[in-house]
Amino acid sequence: MDAGTILSAATGLALLLMCAAFFLTAWRVVRGPTLPDRIVALDMLVATAIGFIAVVAIRTGFALYIDIAIALGLVGFLATAALARFVASRGLPGGEEEEAPPEPTRRRPGRARR
Amino acid sequence: MRRLLAPAVLALAWAAVTGSFAWPNLVLGLAVAALALFFVRGHARAGARPAAVRPGRLLSLLALFVKELALSAWRVAVLVARPRMVLRPGIFAFPLTVTSDFEIALLANLITLTPGTLSVDVSEDRRVLYVHALDCSDPAGARRGIAEGFERKIMEAFR
Amino acid sequence: MTVLLALATAVLVVTGGVFTLLAAVGVVRLPDVYTRMHAASKAGTVGSGLMLLAAGLHSLEGAVLARAVAGVAFFLLTAPVAAHLVARAAHRAGYRPTRLTVLDEMAEARRRAERNRP
Repeated sequence: MDAGTILSAATGLALLLMCAAFFLTAWRVVRGPTLPDRIVALDMLVATAIGFIAVVAIRTGFALYIDIAIALGLVGFLATAALARFVASRGLPGGEEEEAPPEPTRRRPGRARR
Repeated sequence: MRRLLAPAVLALAWAAVTGSFAWPNLVLGLAVAALALFFVRGHARAGARPAAVRPGRLLSLLALFVKELALSAWRVAVLVARPRMVLRPGIFAFPLTVTSDFEIALLANLITLTPGTLSVDVSEDRRVLYVHALDCSDPAGARRGIAEGFERKIMEAFR
Repeated sequence: MTVLLALATAVLVVTGGVFTLLAAVGVVRLPDVYTRMHAASKAGTVGSGLMLLAAGLHSLEGAVLARAVAGVAFFLLTAPVAAHLVARAAHRAGYRPTRLTVLDEMAEARRRAERNRP
């Protein structure tokens, strides 16, 4: 086993794992049900994207990607802070989900929530 | 001397981010740090600065933090990977012994990155920290854990 | 030596990937905003931090590694702040925690304060 094989296998596996993570988080962004849920999921999407960029940095050997990842982290934090301020200033809109579903372990996908 | 702490830390961060610890770069970093601090001068209050810094105790706090962070990520991962999650979430009030803004902010940050706890809010009078816990079946024990762990270490490191 | 370095990088990258995936699973499976935040702010931060460290280690340059370490330190400082901001905003706006919640001393304190107000 040489270094190249190990690295390409590991980064490939990591990309696969993060792909799955990305889609799961995106499902939460679409599904909601509340605005704070979506904000948390978007924050998580940024974290996953940083991971993606770091892996791409390893695969291509361009150290510049690391700077891009750090910059994305900065912007992501600012976005989350701004969205949190929006939630605080808007309050709870009428009609939005008020209570989470009763059982967390079994969640049927198509069930009506309200 | 303590007035120089913030610019020095910022200059070191500048050197790390630009990737060069050469003297001219450090001086440039110091200048940028001074400029940045000048812009926020109206917002920085006396309580935002630690009363004293003990490097040894600070290292021990850092070690505890890294250990707890690893443990916390592991616990969340294990909890989530189980087919049936056992959850008893809740928000408990933690009476603060630390008083300054700096210490409260540090404690809140450390609490968030430790197993099963997340700081939600500080009361108006800065006496109570509200902490959300994934397992809130024993709030008294959780309170004791924070008071004897992080809070004591913070007071040892910065007083 | 290069094999050792590659192995260390590989371990970091895969561990980071596993943590990121588990954080995403947590964001999907946990019942309310507050519990989801636990998964996103802890496992998610550790995941992307490990990835960044791996990238810094792989480059074998002091400058790049220093930048990666500074980036990780920055994430560790901002992730709890972001989680705290969202949690506080959500709780103040009135988003209720899940029914499984056993204790909410923050809501109790707020109700008490409202009762005392004339």
